[in-house]
Amino acid sequence: MAETFIEVLGISCSYAAEPVLEGVKLSVRKGDFLGIIGPNGSGKSTLIKAISRVLKPAQGTVYLDGREVYSMSPREAARLMAVVSQMTGINFDFTVEEIVLMGRHPHAKNLRKETREDLAKVGWALEVTKTSHLRKRLITELSGGELQRVVIARALAQDTSVLLLDEPTSHLDINHQVEILDLIKELNRNQNLTVIVVLHDLNLASQYCDLLILLNRGRIHAMGKPCEVVTQKNIRNVYRSPVIIKEHPVYGCPQVTLLSKRDGHLRDRGMKIHLVCGGGVAGLLMERLVFEGFEVSAGTLNIGDADWEKARVFNLELEEAAPFSPVTEKNLESTLKLMERADVVVVASIPYGHGNLKNLVAVKRAQERGKRVILVDGTPIRERDYTGGKASAICAELIEKGAVVVDSTVELLAKLQEIEPAVRKTRSRTI
Amino acid sequence: MVNKTLYLTAALIVLCLVFVAVNGIGAVKIEFKEIIAIIASKVPVLGKGITGGWKETHETILVQVRLPRTLLAVLVGACLSVAGAIYQGIFKNPLADPYIIGASSGAALGAALAIFLSLNLSFLGIGAVSMLAFLTSILAVFLVYNMARVGHRVPVLTLLLAGIALSSFLSAVVSLLTYLSGDKLGHIIFWMMGSLSSRSWSYVYSTLVSFLAGILIAFYYARDLNILLLGEDTAVHLGIETERVKKILLATASILTAASVASSGLIGFVGLIIPHTVRIAVGPDHRWLIPASALTGGTFLLLADTIARTVFAPTELPVGIVTAMFGGPFFIYLLKKRKTSY
Repeated sequence: MAETFIEVLGISCSYAAEPVLEGVKLSVRKGDFLGIIGPNGSGKSTLIKAISRVLKPAQGTVYLDGREVYSMSPREAARLMAVVSQMTGINFDFTVEEIVLMGRHPHAKNLRKETREDLAKVGWALEVTKTSHLRKRLITELSGGELQRVVIARALAQDTSVLLLDEPTSHLDINHQVEILDLIKELNRNQNLTVIVVLHDLNLASQYCDLLILLNRGRIHAMGKPCEVVTQKNIRNVYRSPVIIKEHPVYGCPQVTLLSKRDGHLRDRGMKIHLVCGGGVAGLLMERLVFEGFEVSAGTLNIGDADWEKARVFNLELEEAAPFSPVTEKNLESTLKLMERADVVVVASIPYGHGNLKNLVAVKRAQERGKRVILVDGTPIRERDYTGGKASAICAELIEKGAVVVDSTVELLAKLQEIEPAVRKTRSRTI
Repeated sequence: MVNKTLYLTAALIVLCLVFVAVNGIGAVKIEFKEIIAIIASKVPVLGKGITGGWKETHETILVQVRLPRTLLAVLVGACLSVAGAIYQGIFKNPLADPYIIGASSGAALGAALAIFLSLNLSFLGIGAVSMLAFLTSILAVFLVYNMARVGHRVPVLTLLLAGIALSSFLSAVVSLLTYLSGDKLGHIIFWMMGSLSSRSWSYVYSTLVSFLAGILIAFYYARDLNILLLGEDTAVHLGIETERVKKILLATASILTAASVASSGLIGFVGLIIPHTVRIAVGPDHRWLIPASALTGGTFLLLADTIARTVFAPTELPVGIVTAMFGGPFFIYLLKKRKTSY
């Protein structure tokens, strides 16, 4: 199971001197479900074409089950891998059954009639794709969803161990998209079918694929599990589009929410904020700050804390402590360093116990070194002080020494906007 | 769509009946029974016992004049229809015809040249016009194929465009030759309208060779041709060596076309309308489409030629005019009747 089944070795392809793929390397194990994502023109389809022998790469090569695909005969290759290409119109009135039978071509001799095995495989393919009832219908009369299922049935009739799909769900309604991907996932699980699929929809890709490749201008930008690939940073860098990444409420995989470019979201504010948070109460605030374009760092946060998870999703610079453990002296030092690099330290309205009191101590030290501090005081400090008054005392001290108190996120943002010019000035002076 | 086996059987029976019937038509009427007896007597081994019972002149007219002509009509009709079916498959376009990539204009140039230069050669009973037409037809397609080549590939769209480009150029040369040909002008024009009149057995044999070779190759690659209809990338994914298969099929269709054109001039519409009509009846599967097109095309041209030689007898109409006159309106009727775009 763990051995490499498909190996793409540094392939480069180009259309008329324009490089489309440059040195792409990847290896896929048997039974993997690999998704290829990337913007238009990033080389997704070309990669599928190169693997499936349609476009021979100018450099590099592709191995399938230990053999170079370009040295196989076309029929041999077609017995190992089936491809569902992007939908193209068929003008000719073949019946569904005739189309699916064509999937048996790699197994047949030119003049031989269909064998019982051929018919059995076709019957099976029609059944799993739920197209048996369409058997005698003309391919030209099918709806988009039906046609796509028939094309997949044809690929399954080929009886291969690899299935490549190039955007199998574009042009389909959401219900059909899910149906098709569920089907592929099922085949992947039950038949141990190795699947490589190009998907346009990042959310579907992250939901269905075990592994993802993010292509950008013909190169692999990121590769790994969906949570490692679909990150704010990657998507922003590759798609040049403002997004928020959140967890899927049911499956936990990253989901992309698009923001309008026009509103200037995520424009770089050039202002760094260190956020003291924790206990899962500052998630929305963190999201908003990131969303508004501030460069946010956070900590110290306990590993496994909801705010910690969110900070991870946003890929924030982060100081972390062991789960359910108090903040250590070492954490404090590191957090202080993060604070020093920030322009403003924002303290969220979090509860304090003996475990995280050191975070407030860090804020105090940062303030002593001249850092601006803003306290968000949504809930009065008394009500969230579990340290017998120590936290309240430090807060009072902070306020005494000039920390600004705001009541809400909206007020905080207004305040940040207000001090932005001053921060800029301080920064240009220090630089 | 009708039952495929039924269609094929019916088409074969109709062809045989029509064949015998039209051989009786002409200035001299020959009885149905007589025709069957005479033909049967010519069959090797089996025909030995059959003698007499018919007029000597009837036998001469049948064997020397009518049979070669009617047989050639069937063969040419079959060749053009099979070639049309192949081209329509390769180009994934049901409106492609055998003349689409220059076979006709190439042949026209050869024929016009031979007539213009009054070449009087003949080889195995085949005249210079035919021979030159055959060669230039093949040459034109070969040129188009190489013009369209991009690296190792020959994209069908480029092939189509190269075909149109070369055809218009060659047509201009043919027009020039026709313009300069003086008293041979009628001859060239008549050739280009297509005719099956006064062709000897040599033409039947030479066309038969091309036909047999062509239909066998086409039938062997019928399944590949089906899959090519799904697009070339898909064909690669299904294990087809697309470039090789395309090359073989193009060569086959071109030889079929060249053989027809060489023996009978430019007969239009058969290669377009027959495969198209047959496809409506038996569906797009080439394993059925190719033999069914051959039978139907043979019958169609046989009937068209009978009309051409009888309606204004003793004056002959060029058969190309007849096929176009019947074919055009029928084609429009089919287009209107179909719900889908083709």
